[in-house]
Formats: sequence, C-alpha cells, structure tokens
Amino acid sequence: MSDLARVDTRRTGTTQLVRITGELDLSNARELTDALGHAVPTGVTHVVVDLSATTYLDSAAIAAFFRLSQRLRDRRQDLRLVVPDGSPIRAVIELTRLSQVIPVDESAPEPSDPMAYAALPHDGVPDSTEPPPVADAAEPDADGTGTADGHRNG
Amino acid sequence: MTTGVGAVGTSGPAPLPAAGPFDPPARDEAVISPARRIARLAAIAVAYYLGARLGLRLSLVGNDVTPLWPPTGVAVAALIVFGRSYWPAVAVAALAVNLPISANPLAAVVTAVGNTLAPVVAVTLLRRVGFRRELDRQRDAIAIVFLGALASMLVSATIGAVTLVASGSITTAELPAAWAVWWTGDAMGVLAVAPFLLCLPLFWEQRRWPLRRWVEAVTIIVVATLVVASVATTGPHIIFLTLPVLGWAAWRLQLRGAAPAALIASLVATWAAAEQVGPFEGRTLLEQMVTLQAFNACVALTSFFLSALVSERMQTAAALSAAASELERRVEQRTAQLSAANTRLVQEIQERSEAQEQLSHEEARAQREHQIAETLQRSLLPDRLPDVPGVALAARYVPATADVQVGGDWYDVVQLPDGLIGLAIGDVAGHGLTAAATMVQVRMALRAYALQDPSPPAVMRGVHQLVAQLPVPEMVTLIYLVYDPATRRLRWTNAGHPPALTFTDGHGAYLEGALSPPVGVTVDGSFTEASQVLAPGATLLLYTDGLVERRGVSLTAGLDRLDREASAAPVDDIEALCDRLLDTFLDEDHIEDDVAILVMRPAISVDGELDVRLPAEARNLVQVRSALRRWLKESAVSDHDVNEVLVACGEACANVVQHAYSGQTSSGELVVEARLDDDRLEVRVRDHGHWRPAADRGGGWGLQLMDALMDDVDVEHTTGGTDVRLRRRVQMGGEG
Repeated sequence: MSDLARVDTRRTGTTQLVRITGELDLSNARELTDALGHAVPTGVTHVVVDLSATTYLDSAAIAAFFRLSQRLRDRRQDLRLVVPDGSPIRAVIELTRLSQVIPVDESAPEPSDPMAYAALPHDGVPDSTEPPPVADAAEPDADGTGTADGHRNG
Repeated sequence: MTTGVGAVGTSGPAPLPAAGPFDPPARDEAVISPARRIARLAAIAVAYYLGARLGLRLSLVGNDVTPLWPPTGVAVAALIVFGRSYWPAVAVAALAVNLPISANPLAAVVTAVGNTLAPVVAVTLLRRVGFRRELDRQRDAIAIVFLGALASMLVSATIGAVTLVASGSITTAELPAAWAVWWTGDAMGVLAVAPFLLCLPLFWEQRRWPLRRWVEAVTIIVVATLVVASVATTGPHIIFLTLPVLGWAAWRLQLRGAAPAALIASLVATWAAAEQVGPFEGRTLLEQMVTLQAFNACVALTSFFLSALVSERMQTAAALSAAASELERRVEQRTAQLSAANTRLVQEIQERSEAQEQLSHEEARAQREHQIAETLQRSLLPDRLPDVPGVALAARYVPATADVQVGGDWYDVVQLPDGLIGLAIGDVAGHGLTAAATMVQVRMALRAYALQDPSPPAVMRGVHQLVAQLPVPEMVTLIYLVYDPATRRLRWTNAGHPPALTFTDGHGAYLEGALSPPVGVTVDGSFTEASQVLAPGATLLLYTDGLVERRGVSLTAGLDRLDREASAAPVDDIEALCDRLLDTFLDEDHIEDDVAILVMRPAISVDGELDVRLPAEARNLVQVRSALRRWLKESAVSDHDVNEVLVACGEACANVVQHAYSGQTSSGELVVEARLDDDRLEVRVRDHGHWRPAADRGGGWGLQLMDALMDDVDVEHTTGGTDVRLRRRVQMGGEG
C-alpha cells in the first residue's frame, strides 16, 4: 500500500469496520478495495467503510467501491460507507450517485450496537472524535462575507 | 661496694617476674642503715662461728678432718645474699674459729684469710656467670656446684693445707690427704648449707605456700629425716634410698623443699660417719670419706638439679601460659581493632553512599541546568517564523543530548524592505553561555545590518567587524541569503558554513560559491556574493553541521545523503520535511552536536501561474494534487472550491496516466498549468500521447465529474497530444 492512505480495521460482532485515512486515487484505490474484499471474513454480515478521514477520492476509487460492493453482495455481505457532511469527498460521492448503489451514512455506527446500524437517522451526529477536516465554519467572520454555508454544493 | 654490676648474667633466659636477678645486695647496701649493717655483720659472724662449731663436732678424726664444713656454706650464702662487702664478718669469725685450733696466731690468720678469700672468690665467679640465688635454672645448679663449691674451695683448701705444713702441724707427706679433706669439707659445706640458707629468703620473696603445701613440706622433711636416719644408722649399703625422698622434695617443693632435705641428709650422714655407725662402721678413714663425700655429692646434685629442672619446667609452663594468655589478649585486642576497623569501614561506606546520593543530586542539578540551558537556547531562537506571503517557512532546533551546555547553532528569518526575505543560519564555535551570548549578538547585528543594507557581503562585513571586536573572538560560521520572491533570485554569501541545498522533484543541488573563511578569522573580512534563480517549486534547505556530520563518515558522504533524502521527501509539507530529515539523520538517544535547520519554499506560482511537469504515472498524481492544492490555497481560493478543482483536475490527470501513453514502454510527460485571473480559474492538463474515446474508459465518470465540478471543460485533441482546459469561477477566501 502506498503512503497515500492508511487502513484500520475493527470487528464488532458481525460488523467489520474499515477506516481509511488519507487519499484514494488511481494509484491505490483498486489495490486497496481488492485487498479489503479478500480480507473480510465470511462471518461478517456488514462491512462499514468509514471515509470520515479520507481527504481525496477520485472516480477510480468510486469504481473500486462498486466492485467491492458487488463482490460482497455475492457473499451476502452488506457494504455501507460513512461520509460525513462537509467532507471534501462528499461532492464526488454525490455526483457519481454512489449512494444509489451503496448506502452512505454520515456517521459510523456505535460499536456497542452494530445491529442498530440501519436505524441510524440519516442526519446523525458525526463522530465527535473525528471532526470533518474541512472546518469551513471555523472562522465564519474571517472575510466578513458570511458565505461559509454557501460553499456547500448541493 | 665495688662489685661490678656488669657481672650480672645476661646470656640466660630472661628473668621471670617471680625471680629477681642476683644483684639486689648492691642496691640494699645503698639504702640500709649502718646499725642494720652491723647487725648483719654480727649475725653472719655468729652463724659462721656456730657453723664451725657444728663442723668440728662432725670431724672424723679429732679436730683435723671435718668432712662437712658448714661455715663456708654460711659465708658463701651470706655474701651472695648481702654482698661481698660483708667479708669482714667472715674474716673475723674465721679467725675466731681458727685461733684455738691453729699452731700459732699467724697460722690462724693465714688460714682465716684463706677461709675468707674462698667465699669471696666463689661469689665473684657466680656473679660473673649470672648466677641467680633462686637456683631455679640448671645453669645455676651447675654454677654453684662447680664454681661456688668445687672450684672456689681450692683456694681455702690450698691455703689451709699449706699453712698446716708451714706451721708444722703436719708433715709434707700428709699434705695431699689434708688438702683433699679440707677441700671436700669446704665444698660439701657449700653444697649442703648454702642452698639451704639461700632458700630461706624465698619463703617471703616468692609466692607464699598454702597450708596444704606446708603440711606436705613438713611431711617430706620428716620422712627424709626418718629415712636418712634409719638408712644411715642401720643398713650398710642402702643409704642411696635417701635419694628418692630428695627427688620427691625437689619435685614438689623445689629449692625450698630440696635444700632443707639435702642439708638434713648431709648432716645426718656426716654425723653417722663421725659416729662410725651404719655404713661407716668399721671402715677406714678413706673409705668413710669417699662414701660420705660421694653421698653428699649425690644428695646435693640430685636436689639442686632436680629442683632447678622442675623450676625451669614450671617457669616454662608459666611462660607458655603467660604467652598463651598474652596471645589471647592480643587476639582480643586485634579482634577489637578489626571490629573498630569494620565499624569505620561501615561508616565510610555509609559516608560514600551519602556522597553518592549527593552526587546524584549534583547530576539532577546538572540535568536541570541542561534543561535551563536548552530553554534558554530555544528562547534565544525565533519563537515563530514570520508569515511571509509567497514563501513557506519551517525551522527546527534540536539540542545535543551529549552536552549539558548550550549550543551555538542558530537561525533567523528577517523580512526586509521591498519584499525581500533575509535568511541566516550559523554556528558559533564552542558551547556554553559565552557562545550563546555571541550567538545573540551576531543574530541581532545581522538583523540590524540586513535592514540597513540587504546586500549579503555588506551584512557579512558588519557581522565580521562585530565578531572581530568581541573580547573573546569566537569562530562563527554563517550563511546569509536574500531571497526576492518577485524574481525567485537567491543572493548569498557563505562564511565557512556547509552549503545550502536546493531541491525540487528528486533533484538537489548545493549552493556553491561565495565561500569565505568563517567570520572573525581573517583580518580583512572581504566577502563575495553569489546568486541563483530558484527553480519553480524548489525548496531551500539551510542546516548546521550537526545534521550531516558523523564520526567515521566524510562530510561529502553526509552531504550526498542529505541531497538524496531531501530530494526524495514529499514536497507538499515542509513541516513534515523537517521532521522527516531529523528522524532520518538524528539518533534520538544520542545527538552529539546540536542541530538547526531552516526550510524555505517559495510559492509555486510567482506571477499567478502553476506549472507542474511530471512523468505520467499514477504515483505522481498525488504530487500534482499537492502542488495544485498549495497553489490554489496560496492563491486564496476557498477550501471548498479547492477540493472540487482538485477532483476535476485529478480526473483529467488520471485520464492522461491511464490512457495517453498506453502501449508505450515508457510513460510520457504530464503537464499541469494553472492560472487565476481574479476569480476565473483555468487549469490545463496536457500530454503528448493519444486521445482515446470516452467509451473506452471505465464508467466515464472522469469526464462527468469534470463537467459537474467545472464551469467549462474543453478537450482538444491534436497529433501532438491532448489538451484539457478546465475553467471555473472560484470563491476566494480560502482561509475559512
């Protein structure tokens, strides 16, 4: 794996949590998702890929996630992604309509309650330990325009 | 009074405490009163006279042959005990004895002279051999037998016998017999009587006898008397049975028992001879004499030798016992000494441990001082680098772990007029507060000079003058550079410092030239200047020798390594670059010399344009993105738009990487250019390969994303390659 991204995995019951920190692009996305597909144990029913700390994601990575989703579905394993509101990769996720194929949540499930995962409200509070890297509200009055929210691409 | 003290024997064993040396008479004479002396003289004379009367009573033939002549024993004992100066008593008594029995007064006088002279000679000889009147050594027994009795009495016997002839009492033919009788009589008188008299003072001089011992003594004397009396009067040849009794006396009581027993035995035997009873009955005079004298000699020798032997044994035992107790005492003493030494040692160990503890305190203090020094050093360096538009700056200072002193490494960044940036890094030789103080002065002077005139040689001359004027001139190495962001031109001068490094995209080069000796070393202090345009995207690294110098590694090798490591490091974050260099080059646990590094990277765009050229490989996409991200941020594009532009550009670049040079053995060039006019952004992504239709590309999301994220996407295909233009109006104010 390149220096671009770091992968941490944690299993809670039948849920496999995979956290990707860094950047995913043509150089590492396919390799990374293939490795994930092989690494997920059969006993796992849910695979959650947490992209909260992922700062870049290109179309090659999107394609890789589609492949991973297909592969897991064949093994009756659900794939879900976590992309917080305000994430730098949010635009790519939405533009590629990835969420129509792979459910995308704004926060990771509580480790203690993996089965309640699907019931999470869509606008759930993001993981407080991992604030969105882009703090566009940090200095709302910095330029006096008050357009911080206006940057959001709907 | 004139007896030689030197006559006291010194060759024998050391006298034991119980037995005094045979010299007390000399001391006694000095202190006793004349009356007492006269009393003693009288006593001696009376004793002598009485002894003579006793001797005459024991004569074998009339008054002529006395086998035992006690007066000589009295005389010898008296002169031994009281000193030779008491001879007049002997002389007078001898004269008194001899006058009635001599032929004429003259003969009596001469005989008396002989009788006086013999004891004096005897005592003189005994003194000469170190005789002790305690008779507790064998040599004392030998001395009194052979010198005191046999030898000395030759004098009296010769004088007496010759006088008898001269006075006509006997014929010349009778001389030998008379002489022999006289001699044996005198000798036996000494042997029988003198030891008895000598033993008398011992009763109060030596340890007193307990009652038990007195009983034993009386028993022995009684038994001896009975035995001697019975054998001397009855059995013809069993007189020798006396000897075991004498042996018993000597064994049990030594001289104090043996001498009286011997005297009694001799007296009884002599009396028996005089009375011609027992073994002496019916014998000739000669036979009587021989038997008697042999018996007396045996008695004397047995008694004195045995008692002397036992005394010696007892003394030896006492000496051994004393030695043993002395040894024990010494062992105890030594044990006490060892114990004391041990106590001292324990105390010493404790003191040392306390000293050790103190030392640890000292160490702790030294450590605190080190921390203070380090804090001081850090406080002397710029606490934060200035925010300079158009350049990114990062710096590190790492103190030496091996040195408790403050180091002399320093760096500084000065914002100069006309947008110029002054950078300096230096090393003041030595450590400690002096070096730190010099460092501060040099740094402040450099700031002042640079603000006055940024020209590197001018600044360096000023610093040189300052250093040369220091009371304690120090060697200072220093690089001073001026960077002009408008022209990307670097001007520098280097006073003996390791050269600065510039590097970009895997290629590094040291800034050679304008090198002069360290400041403060030369007299004239002339400095030159060199200049170079910093390549776009290039990074400038200043450092001190602690970073690259290692024992056993040449400086050239260190510089080569620095070049490699710096060039290979990711370029988008110079803070990370600093950390990476320190991690790579320094052993955290052992930093021999302090290290300072200063990194400057100008904004990639100087005039608003970005120009990145890289091999079209997937692994380079991140570099393109980081360069573009930096450029966009430095151009104050909002973070949100930066992210979207990065995705669009990234897709265009990924297309180039994936498709432009497919089928070719080596990848071609990927060119990314960007310009910003007000809020109008244009990014061009170009290659020199072949364009392939979108249908060939997986998903076609790339183009979709570009279209969605940019206002306008224009793809132009030529035979020379493809040119993708991405345009968009961007939000400014990226700080949010």
